[in-house]
Amino acid sequence: MGSGSLTHPTEDELVLHHWGEDDGPEVARHLQDCADCRAALAALRRDLQAVPVPDPPHRGEDYGRHVWLRLQPRLAAEARARRVGRLRPFRARRPSSRLFVPLAVAAALVLAFLVGRHWPHPAPPAAISQAARERILLVAVGDHLERSEMLLVELVNAGGGDKPVDISSERQWAQELVGANRLYRQTAMRAGKPGVASVLDELERVLVEVAHRPSSLSAGELGQIQHRIESRGLLFHVRVIETQVREKEKEGTQTPVPGGKVVS
Amino acid sequence: MTSKPRDGLTAALGERLTERMAGGEDEAQAVARARDGDPEAFRLLVERHSRDVFRLAFRMTGNEHDAEDVVQEAFLKAYRKLDAFEERAQFGSWLHRIAANCAYDLLRARARRDQGVERREEDESDPMLAVPSGAPGPDRLLVGGEVRRRLKAALARMSALERSAFTLRHLEGMSIAEISRALDLDTSAAKQSVFRAVRKLREALGEHVQWGAAP
Repeated sequence: MGSGSLTHPTEDELVLHHWGEDDGPEVARHLQDCADCRAALAALRRDLQAVPVPDPPHRGEDYGRHVWLRLQPRLAAEARARRVGRLRPFRARRPSSRLFVPLAVAAALVLAFLVGRHWPHPAPPAAISQAARERILLVAVGDHLERSEMLLVELVNAGGGDKPVDISSERQWAQELVGANRLYRQTAMRAGKPGVASVLDELERVLVEVAHRPSSLSAGELGQIQHRIESRGLLFHVRVIETQVREKEKEGTQTPVPGGKVVS
Repeated sequence: MTSKPRDGLTAALGERLTERMAGGEDEAQAVARARDGDPEAFRLLVERHSRDVFRLAFRMTGNEHDAEDVVQEAFLKAYRKLDAFEERAQFGSWLHRIAANCAYDLLRARARRDQGVERREEDESDPMLAVPSGAPGPDRLLVGGEVRRRLKAALARMSALERSAFTLRHLEGMSIAEISRALDLDTSAAKQSVFRAVRKLREALGEHVQWGAAP
């Protein structure tokens, strides 16, 4: 397409020219000589200008600090988990049966805390006053919820095309989480905390579904799981409970930092 | 990541670091320190870039709540990927690509969720539907309403990829090459996504909008 050429640029070439991303100088040369194409370019620009550049809602000078405060617990948990190697998502790590007793105790204590936080009257069990023990248990439950959250995020973000998706790692991960989750759910029921139990129940259904799926899912099958997670706000509810547990965890200690070290 | 007590830093040191960061003098040093496990350095990066990331996320998702989620996810991903950051690159550009990718993921998930479901009411507040401000005479309002309706139709017809690519090109000024890196596409796919988005936009606007009536 040379200057004065009868070959007019396509709309796509005009689009690239508008944004200064021409593949060569030909379009610019052509435009110098062709009034029709200049008019076409002007029409294109007019249309694009109809799309406004929106101003985002105001965020003050201290917005970054707020972002950091929200982010910090997740970074701290990640760093801590990375240090002990337990957050490697695709690592086989089946809880042994002898872990079930402490898990159950952990569930009882944490859910007793949750009940106490949201129900004004129930008195916490005597053991909850043992701050050090409570902290260890809170960390355990917080990690369970965090691992669950990460799995849900992985599933929600998986796929995206028409090809089958390999979820063998996620499946194994779900198998690992089901047992502990069941304990927490049952304890929540016994503690009279239907809201928490309901979230854990829905989480467990997803975990069981993923755990029993084949390693390879079609896009449609994966979409069903994703729809189930998203349509019921499961990820959000798991994050809320996790945040409550983490806050309680922090109340009993000093500020954790991403390195996972407790600051005194 | 080894820890360095945030509270152990004196306020003066924190301020000096912030000032130097604001001057853009040693962002590379901050990145290097963050990579070595200094949480204070990563905090400075978060505080410096949060508003820009939020703006990008808001423009891409069209929704304040989703944008906040994208901000969190973007910094979390950046933290996880710090080791992969090339020292010669600009941290801000790298972070923006990560944020764009997070926003794109969110748009895809939202599209799947909304499949077969009528678009929600909150879409009415999509910033891409805002009519440029100016003296709102009756003609302008009339045209503005029509343009808005047509823009809404165009956005509804765009895929998550098309909308992402278009927003990054048109509103964020990213080059096609940058878009392809941010969205994990080859350059040709990024280009075609922008083209399709523009085509849908122009088809929706059509020739019936009386541009001349708008001041």
